[in-house]
Amino acid sequence: MTNLKYRLATIVALVLASIWALWPRTVIERVKRNGVFVYDTVQRVPLKRGLDLQGGMYLQLELDESKGVVSDKEDAIQRAVKVVRNRIDEFGVAEPTVQTVGNNRIIVELPGIDDPERAEAVVQQAAHLQFMITDETNALERALPRLDQIARDVGGPTSQGALGDTSKSSPVSGLEKLFTQDSGAKAADTTKADSATSPIPPTGGPISGLLQRGEMPGEFYITQENVARAEYYFSLPQIQQAIPPGKAVKWGADTMSIGGQIYRTLYVVDSRPIITGESINDARPNNTPIDGTVVEFQLDNEGGRRFRSETAKHIQDYMAIVLDDRVMGRPPVIQGAIGTRGQITLGRRDMQQAQDLALVLRAGALPVPLKIADVRSIGASLGDDAIRQGLSAGALGIAIVILIMVVYYRFSGMLAVLGLMFYSVTTLAMLAGFGAVLTLPGIAGFVLSIGMAVDANFLIFERIREEVDRGKTIRTSIDEGFSHAWSAIVDTHVTTALTAAILYQFGTGPVRGFAVALLAGLAASMVSAIFVVRTLFLLWLNRTRGTAPLSI
Amino acid sequence: MLRILHNTKIDFIRLWKQAAIVIVVFLIPAVVMIAMSGFNWSIEFTGGTRIQLQFQNAAEVSAVRSELANAGFPNAEIATFGSPNELMIRVQDPTAIAQQDRAAGAVVTAIRAALDRRFGEGSYTVVGAEAVSAKVGDELSGQAAIAVLIAFGITLIYLAWRFEWRFALATILATMHDIVATLAFMKYLNLEISLFVVGGILTVIGYSMNDKVVVFDRVRENLKKGRKLPLYDLLNQSVNETLPRTVMTGSTTLACLLALLIFGGDVIRPFAWVLTFGIIIGTFSSIYVASPILLWIERKYPRMAVDKAHISASQARAESQVEAAPRPIRGSKAPATGRR
Repeated sequence: MTNLKYRLATIVALVLASIWALWPRTVIERVKRNGVFVYDTVQRVPLKRGLDLQGGMYLQLELDESKGVVSDKEDAIQRAVKVVRNRIDEFGVAEPTVQTVGNNRIIVELPGIDDPERAEAVVQQAAHLQFMITDETNALERALPRLDQIARDVGGPTSQGALGDTSKSSPVSGLEKLFTQDSGAKAADTTKADSATSPIPPTGGPISGLLQRGEMPGEFYITQENVARAEYYFSLPQIQQAIPPGKAVKWGADTMSIGGQIYRTLYVVDSRPIITGESINDARPNNTPIDGTVVEFQLDNEGGRRFRSETAKHIQDYMAIVLDDRVMGRPPVIQGAIGTRGQITLGRRDMQQAQDLALVLRAGALPVPLKIADVRSIGASLGDDAIRQGLSAGALGIAIVILIMVVYYRFSGMLAVLGLMFYSVTTLAMLAGFGAVLTLPGIAGFVLSIGMAVDANFLIFERIREEVDRGKTIRTSIDEGFSHAWSAIVDTHVTTALTAAILYQFGTGPVRGFAVALLAGLAASMVSAIFVVRTLFLLWLNRTRGTAPLSI
Repeated sequence: MLRILHNTKIDFIRLWKQAAIVIVVFLIPAVVMIAMSGFNWSIEFTGGTRIQLQFQNAAEVSAVRSELANAGFPNAEIATFGSPNELMIRVQDPTAIAQQDRAAGAVVTAIRAALDRRFGEGSYTVVGAEAVSAKVGDELSGQAAIAVLIAFGITLIYLAWRFEWRFALATILATMHDIVATLAFMKYLNLEISLFVVGGILTVIGYSMNDKVVVFDRVRENLKKGRKLPLYDLLNQSVNETLPRTVMTGSTTLACLLALLIFGGDVIRPFAWVLTFGIIIGTFSSIYVASPILLWIERKYPRMAVDKAHISASQARAESQVEAAPRPIRGSKAPATGRR
């Protein structure tokens, strides 16, 4: 009797703990109010829904080694994770997940995001900011004869065939992203037409012919039609090597229009930046009447000191603000030593982009380039459908199981159904307790594991029937039924659990959700079949004192 | 007391040769088909792009197809999904995958641009979009294969420890057969092998092992009773004794799966198909694959000389079609020490 009391107490405690674990509670989390994310308290059941059920975005970022091998991948990816996490926190997502996979991947999950393209850009942008002084020494002009010579030796893109081809194949693969497919092809066509009708101007070679002097030292204009060709030349390794030492060539981010002609700018700058974005400790978007959209930034003390002394040395020089290898706006002239504040001019770009740029500057630059390997966005409506369908399938499945149990085993079947209720509550509570995420495969795994949980009951009840057939007393039959079924139940549960554990270990995303639900289900099923149903039988035996016939 | 299949004495194992023929007839065409055209892998494994769109009006599949062909995706697969308003577009050919390798969302953007041009912006919404690079896909299929092999290895060790190596080996071989049969079934239905379906196949493995363990657990118990019954008869007896449980569990699980098939929706349906077939084949193979394999192993590597004699005797009996059903142990006065 005391044994029975302890058993009952344990069951009641487990059920209460499970109900407590599943009780709706007040949590503080980011929620969307009128299109903005704010922190607020919400009342909800502590079972998180996965991306497939509530909609959102899944990104897998991979270390991009196409522009140079990264030596310490482990370290690089860890630092990248920090930056990505900072950015996402600033971006404002309900409950983001950022985790590493292996030593070269980052998985980002953004529930509730409805602008995938923007999220992609924010996560992936390198945000490498540099302040560089434009060249005052006419270094490029002096090197041009050599560059022209190299360009002639290599041959231009037109002599290799259509430029459109090169934009698709390797040499300029890093640059063609700037163009849509269409404008790339158009540029190619016009270049071809140009070279066919008017040969390269006599004053210049293949490169110098493309360049026109700009207004400030180190600045060049290139007409829009010639941009693709110039980009091709400047991406050639031979040309890169021939650029005067200590100097670098950077493209401007925007086009400008002078007298109806559209130009891109090219800047020659000192390759050593006077300061980089690492020193930024705050950045805010702003809208100014003169410069349009800008991002105002503030440097930390150390950076401010360096910035002041460097700018003091370069008064009357021009300072290019280079973001991810593109010069932002037109380099301003340095009037006097600049302290800790400055701004980046974004020209025609809208406020949203200024916001995003400020965000990535605050969060810091990515230590290594990342490339998106895998991207999924799931609409919220898809998730609602899936939940409704999953729930109705689950309800029907449970109804069928209950019907079969009660019709076939009568009273004992009812005890088994009680055991199944215990099983369901504890399984869900375990999932909530482990912070597991309820995904579609998870629900499927749960529905399925109900079927498998019943298996344990069938094993036991069939054994009890066999023992009753052998003419044993009810009490002995129940005891022997449980003890004989024990080995089969343990072995089946352990083999399935081993498979589930390996699934968890090697699987990703949805497969993991399935494995977790299965593991929780198996644990609950063992306790339910062996302990709970047995206790119910003992309770029944205790009440009837072993005199009543067993309905099984 | 409602009882089904109670106290049966069916000589199941006698039919193993016929069963083997059925298996071979089922598997051979599928193996040939798989060898010729491979599997219908989802983009998760090959890389590629999948977009689910919801149009405001019934979607014109042919118009979408021609527009996508213009946009450079002549091999895009387009199908309605769920309702006639919803479309699933799948782009999986190598050139598109290569395009994706440079920028993951490129194909999605291009398709949306093409559809915007044709149908106007806002005439449809993107319900879901996925773009997977080929490299991620390769790794994934590698991982799945490794996971299955490790699961087999660990189960083999566990069962060898709990039972003995003969039982473990028979279980694993029979389960492998179930995987091959399930893959053949998927080939016949031309089901797409997605990550979710792979999860289903792994569940089939778990269920199939579960079923074999239950039967072998009975064999182990009957062996412990120390009665000098040939293994052939012992297996038959064990299969018969566990038959009510096998049928009940099988039908309950199938009922749950039926619910998933009917109400689970298009996302769950392939998964439910795999499990439905897998559970039937898993139950079947416990009797007709695992048991004959165990008998074969036993004959090659007998436990004891005395067993060998029994087995050959029983084989001879089975082949000469003599009534081979053993007397059930029901009501026997077996010593209590023989059981646990």
